[in-house]
Amino acid sequence: MRKAQKVTLTVTGLMMLAGLIAYVYQYKEGLIVTNMANSYSWGLYVSGLAFFVGNAAGGLVLSSLIYLFGVKSLKPFAKLGALAAFANVTAAMLSILPDIGQPLRLLNMALHPQFMSPLVWDVAVLNLYAMLSLIYLYILMLPELKGPLARIAIKVDDPEAFSEKWAKRLAPFSLLAAIGIHVITAWIFSTQGAREWWNTAILAPDFVAVAMASGTAVVFMASIFAYGAREEYQPAYRIMALIMAIATFVHIFFMYNDFFIHIWYGNRESLDVLAITLKRYAVTHAFEVLAPLIAVILLLNKKVRQSAFAVVACCTLLVLGVFTHRYLLMPAAFERVPLTLHPLGIQNGEWSAPIASGRYSPHGDTFVTQWDYFPSGIEFAVFLGGVAFVCFLLIVAIRILPIIKEAK
Amino acid sequence: MRRGMVIDLENCIGCRSCAVACKSHNAQPAGTWWNRVLTPGSEYHGVPPEAGVEYFLPIHCQHCENAPCEKVCPVGATYTSKDGEVLVDYERCIGCRYCMAACPYGVRQFNWQDPKKSMDQYQYSADYYPGNPKDFRLKGRLVYTLKRPRGIVEKCNFCVQYKAQGLDPACVRACPGKARFVGDLDDPQSEVSRMIRRRNGFNLLPHKGTKPTVYYLPPSRKEL
Amino acid sequence: MKLKRRDVLKLGLASTAAVALDMNFFHLIKKAAASVTMDTEKVVRSTCSPNCTGTCGFNAHVSNGRIDTLIQSADYPEKEYNPRGCLRGLSTMNLIYSKDRLKHPLIRTGPRGSGKFKRATWDEALDYAAKKIKDITQKYGSNAVALTVQVPGTGYVQKGAFVRLAALNKWSIHHGYDQNGDLPMFWPMTFGVQTEELESLEWINSRYTMVFGSNLYQTRLPDAKQLTEMKKNGKLVVFDPDYCSTSAKADEWVALKPDTDAAMGLGLAQVIIAKKLYDKAFLQDFTDFPTLVRKDTGKRLLAEDVESLTAKAANTEIPSERRLYAIHTPQGLAILDPTSLKPTGADLQGEFTVTLVGGRKIRVRTVMTELMDLLAEYTPDKVAKICQVPAEQIERVATEAATLKPLHVIYGASNYQWYHGDLKGRALSLLPVLTGNLGKSSAGISTYAGQYRIRFSLKDWWAPEGGELNWVPYLAFLAGKGINYPKHGIKAMIGGWGNPFDQHNMADILRKRATSGELEFICTFDFQMTTSCQWSDVVFPAASWYENYDLTATILHPYVQLQQPAIDKLFESKTAIWVTRQLAKRLEPGQEKHFYPDLDENAAAEEVTKLLLAKGHPETEGITWEMLKKGPVRLHSDVPGDRQVPFYNQIQHRVPFPPPSYPTPLKETAKFLKSGRIEFYKDEDLFLKLGEQLPVHKETFVDTEYKLYPPSREKYPLHFVTKNSLYRVHSTHANNVWLNELQGNRPKVFLNPEDAVNRGIEDGEMTEIFNHRGKTTASAVLDPGCRKGTVFFEQGWWARYLDNQSYNSLTYPWINPLHEIYFVPGIWSPTSVWNECLVDVRRVQS
Repeated sequence: MRKAQKVTLTVTGLMMLAGLIAYVYQYKEGLIVTNMANSYSWGLYVSGLAFFVGNAAGGLVLSSLIYLFGVKSLKPFAKLGALAAFANVTAAMLSILPDIGQPLRLLNMALHPQFMSPLVWDVAVLNLYAMLSLIYLYILMLPELKGPLARIAIKVDDPEAFSEKWAKRLAPFSLLAAIGIHVITAWIFSTQGAREWWNTAILAPDFVAVAMASGTAVVFMASIFAYGAREEYQPAYRIMALIMAIATFVHIFFMYNDFFIHIWYGNRESLDVLAITLKRYAVTHAFEVLAPLIAVILLLNKKVRQSAFAVVACCTLLVLGVFTHRYLLMPAAFERVPLTLHPLGIQNGEWSAPIASGRYSPHGDTFVTQWDYFPSGIEFAVFLGGVAFVCFLLIVAIRILPIIKEAK
Repeated sequence: MRRGMVIDLENCIGCRSCAVACKSHNAQPAGTWWNRVLTPGSEYHGVPPEAGVEYFLPIHCQHCENAPCEKVCPVGATYTSKDGEVLVDYERCIGCRYCMAACPYGVRQFNWQDPKKSMDQYQYSADYYPGNPKDFRLKGRLVYTLKRPRGIVEKCNFCVQYKAQGLDPACVRACPGKARFVGDLDDPQSEVSRMIRRRNGFNLLPHKGTKPTVYYLPPSRKEL
Repeated sequence: MKLKRRDVLKLGLASTAAVALDMNFFHLIKKAAASVTMDTEKVVRSTCSPNCTGTCGFNAHVSNGRIDTLIQSADYPEKEYNPRGCLRGLSTMNLIYSKDRLKHPLIRTGPRGSGKFKRATWDEALDYAAKKIKDITQKYGSNAVALTVQVPGTGYVQKGAFVRLAALNKWSIHHGYDQNGDLPMFWPMTFGVQTEELESLEWINSRYTMVFGSNLYQTRLPDAKQLTEMKKNGKLVVFDPDYCSTSAKADEWVALKPDTDAAMGLGLAQVIIAKKLYDKAFLQDFTDFPTLVRKDTGKRLLAEDVESLTAKAANTEIPSERRLYAIHTPQGLAILDPTSLKPTGADLQGEFTVTLVGGRKIRVRTVMTELMDLLAEYTPDKVAKICQVPAEQIERVATEAATLKPLHVIYGASNYQWYHGDLKGRALSLLPVLTGNLGKSSAGISTYAGQYRIRFSLKDWWAPEGGELNWVPYLAFLAGKGINYPKHGIKAMIGGWGNPFDQHNMADILRKRATSGELEFICTFDFQMTTSCQWSDVVFPAASWYENYDLTATILHPYVQLQQPAIDKLFESKTAIWVTRQLAKRLEPGQEKHFYPDLDENAAAEEVTKLLLAKGHPETEGITWEMLKKGPVRLHSDVPGDRQVPFYNQIQHRVPFPPPSYPTPLKETAKFLKSGRIEFYKDEDLFLKLGEQLPVHKETFVDTEYKLYPPSREKYPLHFVTKNSLYRVHSTHANNVWLNELQGNRPKVFLNPEDAVNRGIEDGEMTEIFNHRGKTTASAVLDPGCRKGTVFFEQGWWARYLDNQSYNSLTYPWINPLHEIYFVPGIWSPTSVWNECLVDVRRVQS
C-alpha cells in the first residue's frame, strides 16, 4: 500500500501544484481567464464550495451519531469522519478563494462585516466548523498521541475518559454545526428572489440531505481505503450505506416535489427555468439523479459492500452525481437572465432583457440573454487542485497521525 | 429626500445616447455597459417584435429601496447613501459577485480583468483613455474613479460625482428625446412625483419587492 | 509629495491596523500625488459636424490635452431645442483617438485598394500631389481634375478653402448634394428652389404632421422631441411601407406599397378637391392653377400668342427668365404678371376657346382643370388598389389633412431616392398647397436630407477673383459623359470629408476605374483611414472638428455656430486651410496669397470667419466672432423672430416665387418658375414627351431595371433599400468601437420573415445579397416590420466590414433625363437614386 500511497501523493501533489499555478495566473490576469461573464457570474468555484461543504457536513454528522445515538459500530471511523470534515471544509474555503476578485481585501470581511449577508454567516460558520472539526479530531486522537506526537498532547490523567467525555459533549454541537454549515450555505442561494431556481424553501433541507449522502460516501470511501471491506466493519458499513440511501431518497423526493408544484402551476417563467435543467441539461440531470440512486441501491446489497472495489466505485459514482448536482446549481440560475418582462401590447409575449457580457467580442454579440458556460481549463485546474488537496491531506494525515486503528 | 428617476417611454426614442454617454463618462471597458436601451419583445434593438408594436426601454440600476444587492454584500461595499442612491465603494469591494447573483435586473458589471487591459482591446491611438478623470468620494468612500481595479463590481452610481457639481446625471443631460427626469420622490409636488401620478408611473418587477426608485411612464397610444 | 492632513490621519490608522493585506493606503498615496500634477480641466464648446444635419453644440471636457468627455452644450436660447446631440456626437472621441486615425501623410506603395502606404513628410506628399495634378492638367486640361467636398453646410471655412483652391486652378467640381442623392428634384421643379424646410421648433405647433419616407426618430435624432411635443395637440401620420421606429411613434401608420406615394398624393388631392376643401384664394394667387394649357400642344398659353393680348405683352418688360402667361378672368383673358403676386381674380377652373395671333382658334384649359381631369384616375378606390391601402383611410386622412391646420408634410430621402422621386414629391406638394398651408408658422412641406445649406453669401471666400469652377454632376462622372463632362474625362479625384469608394461606388464603377488606371490620381483628405483613403495615392491627415475653427450651419435650425479647437491637432494632421495653402504654392507660385499665408491655421480660419460674417448680410448682420465663441447665434430672416419659415415673404408679402437659393444668383433658379408662382404644370418638351407635365404615378422599375436588364423581373424580385443606420452618419462611425458593440459587431440585412423562410434563411445566418452588378454579405435579421418584397441594408459599412465587398456594387447610377434639361449645380442636376435597385438574397453556404 505504501507504493499506492506514494503514487497518489505524487499525483495529487502535482495536481495541487497545477492548481496553484493556474491560480497565480488567474490572479495576474483577472477572472477573465474563466468562462464566466456578467450574465453568468458564478460557476465552478461556487459549485465547488457547495460540493465541499456538503462533503464536510457528512463527516461530522457521522461522528456525532456515535456519541449522540450510541452507534458504537461507527467508532473506528470517527476520526476519519472528523478528518474528512476538516479536509473538505478547508477545501471549500480554498475553492471559493479563487472566486474572489480582490482576495487581498478579504480582511474587509473581518473589519466591515455586513451582518445581513449570508456570505458573512457562511464564512463565519465554515471557519468555526473547521476549528470544531480540528478540535474534535484532536480530542478523538488524544488517547493515541504517543511517542513523538506526545508533545502536542495535553496532559490529562485519563486520556481515554477525557476523550470520551469531551467527544460526547461536543457531539451535539458538531451535529448542529454540520447541519448548520449546509443550511447556511444553502441560504446563500435560497434567499435570492432574483434567481427562481434557488429561491425555494426546500433548498436548505435538500442541501442537508445531499450532504448526508455525499459526506457519508466520502467517509465510506476513506474507510475502505484505510480498513478494507473487512467483515468486522460490515455493520458500520451497513449503517453508512443506509444513511446514504435514505439521504438520497429524501433528496430526490425534495427535488421533485419542488419541480412538481411549479410544473403543475405552469407559470411560464418557472417552466422556462426548469426547462434549462430538465431539457437543455437533460442528460446531465439524468446523471445527477441516477448516479447516486444506482450507487445507493447497489450499496444496500451486502455482497456489494463486501467488495472494496465495488464500494469505492459506488461511492465515487455517488460523489460524481452529487458534484453534478452542485454544478447544476448554476445553469438554471444564470443561463437565463433574471430580468424577464411581458412587453406592452403583445399577447403572451415574454422577453428577456439582455445583459452586457463584460467581455470584448469583436465579431459577436456584446449584449446576451444566454451564456453557454462550461468551465475553462484554469477553472478545472484550480478546482481539481482542491479535490487533490482533500486526498493529499487525508493521506498525509493518516500517515502521520493516529487516525486509523492499525497501520497498513 | 429620496432621489429618484422617471423615464418617459413616450419620449424615449430608443436612440441609446444615454447608454453611450454613460459608457463614455464612466470609462467603461470593453463589453461593459451600465446602461442599456432595448426593444422589449425583440431580439434586436430597433426591430419590432411584430409589425405594429414597438417601444423602447432603458434599463440600468434601479437604486432600490429594498436593494438585495446591498443586503448580500459581505463587506458593506454596496450601500445606500442618505439620498437613496445605491453606491459601490470601490475600495472595499472584494469581488465575490454575490450582488450580481442577487440583482433581479442584471445591472451589475464586473471587472473581469484590468480595465486598462480591457480598454486596450479598443486599440485607441495616442494612449487614449476616455472618461471623467477625477475621483469622487462621498463621506470618504470612493464611489467614482476612472479605472476601477480588476476584480471588483461596478454599476450606475446615479452620477453622484456630477450631483456634487449641481449637474444632472450624464444620461439625463445626454438624452435628446427629453425622456429622463431626476427629482425628489418624497416631495409629492416635485416634477417626478407628479409625473408618476398623472401618467401611471410603474416599476419593473414590482412583485420582487425591491422597491426601485426608477419609475417608468408608459408610452401613450391615441385612439383613431 | 503633499499630503493633506486627512490623508495623513488615514495613513496612520491604516498602518496601525496592520493592514498589511489592505492595499488602500498605497492607492491613497498614488492619488494624492496624481491630483497635484493633473492639469486643470477646461471646457471648450465646439459643434459636432458629420453630415447628419444635427449640427449640435458639444462641450468637450479637456485635461492633459485630451478630450475626457463630451456632453451636449444645450445652450440654444429656445429651451425646446435643448439638448441637441446624440450617441454619435457623444462618442466622437472614438474617432479622434481611433486606431484608424490618420497620423501622417501617406504615399501609396502597393496596388490601389491594398492599403499599402509609406509614411511621407508633408513636403513629400504635397510635392507629389502637386506634381501629379500639374502633369494631369498639362496633359488633359485643368478640368480633368475633379474636387468633391461633400455638402457645404458642415464647414464653410475649411471646405471653402478647397473650393477656393479648385476655383483658382479651374478644376472640375462635384456637388455633394446631388452626389448623395439628397437633392429632391421636385423642389426646383415645383417651387424653384434648392430645397426648403421649417426649423424643427416649428414642428411643435402643427396640428397635422404627415411624414413620408423619413425615419425621423432615427435620422433627425436631436429634433425628434419636437414631434413628441407636437403629438400632444396634433396628430402624427406616418406613411411608410415598413414598420420603422417612426411608424411606431405615429398616431396612425399608413402602410402603403413602396414607391406609390405619387398615387397617394394624387389620391389625397383628389379627395380634397372633390370635397372642396381647398383654399381657392391661395391657389389663385400663388400657383399656376389659373394658367391656361393649350390642348393642341400641351404647352402653357403665352400671352404673346393670344391675339387679344399680344400687343400688351410686347410692351411689358419682364426679366428674361420669366414669361408672360395668359389667364382667364370673369372679365376675359388677361396677362399673368410674373413679377407680382397681387390678387388676380383669375378663374381656377374652366375650358375656353382662344383666338391665337393669326386667327386660329384653340381650346385651352386651366391647369386646375387639367389636374382634376387627371385626378379622375386617382379616386380613393383606384388609389387603394395601387397603394394597397384601404380607400376609407385615404379619404379620412385627406379630410383630416385639409381641415386640421396648420398642416406640415415631412418628405424624406428614403422616399424620393427612386427614379420617379420627383413625381412623388410633386404630387405630395399638392397637400400643403391645395390647403394653403405654406409660408406660415408650422405649415408647409419640408425635406431634411443633407447638410447642403448655404445660409448666406460665401462668395468672398468661395469664389476668388479670377477663379472658375467646372461643375460636373457626379453621375456624369460615373457615366463618363454628360453635363460639363470634360473633353478628356476626369483623371484626378481630389476629395475631402467624403468616402466615395464605399458610398458612391455605384455598380462598382469607381473601383474599376481606379484598378484599371483610368483614374490617374486619387488624393484624399480625411481623419480616418476609410476605404477611399485605402484606394488613394496620397492621403493627407485632417484635423477633426475639435481641433480647428470652422463655421457651420444646417437646415434643422437657423443657428450659425463655430467649431473650436478643444485639443491640439493630433499627430501630424492639418486643417484644410493649411493644406490648400501648401498646394496652391506648389501649383502656381504666388497662389498661396489667397490663403492668408502670413497667419497660422487657427488665425487664418478666424479671419475667414470674420470675413464671412462681415459679408454675409443681411443674415449675419450684427453677428460677431466673440458672440459665436460663446454659443450659437440665430441668423436673421424675413420672418418675425428670425424664425425659419419657408416662403414667408412669398405668402405674407407676395414676393414672387422663388426665393433665392444661395449661392446661386436668383436669375438661375427663377427660370424654373417662369410664371413667378408655384408650378405643378411643367411644359418643357421633355416633360410633355414623358407624360409628366403633371405629377402622375408611374410603375417602379419599368423605366430602369426592367429596361436595362429584362431578366431582373424574374431573377431579382426584391427591392434593395439602403436605409440610414442609427449608429452611423453615412459612413462616419462605421469604425466606432462602442457603436459597433451596440450592433452586435456585424453588418446586417433585414428580411421579411416570409421572404426569408421561402429562401431557407434563418435568423443570424450569413446571407448574400446579389444581382448582376455586384454583391455583399451580411447577417440576416428576420424583421416583422419589413414589408414582403423589400430587403433592408443599413448603408455606411466600410468595405473591410463586408469582407472587402462594396455594398454599392449593387446599385446603379440612374439618370433621369428630366434632371438634365437644366443644370444648376446642386439645384437642378442629375441626382443619385439609391433605392431603385433589384436584388435577391441567398444563404451563404459556409
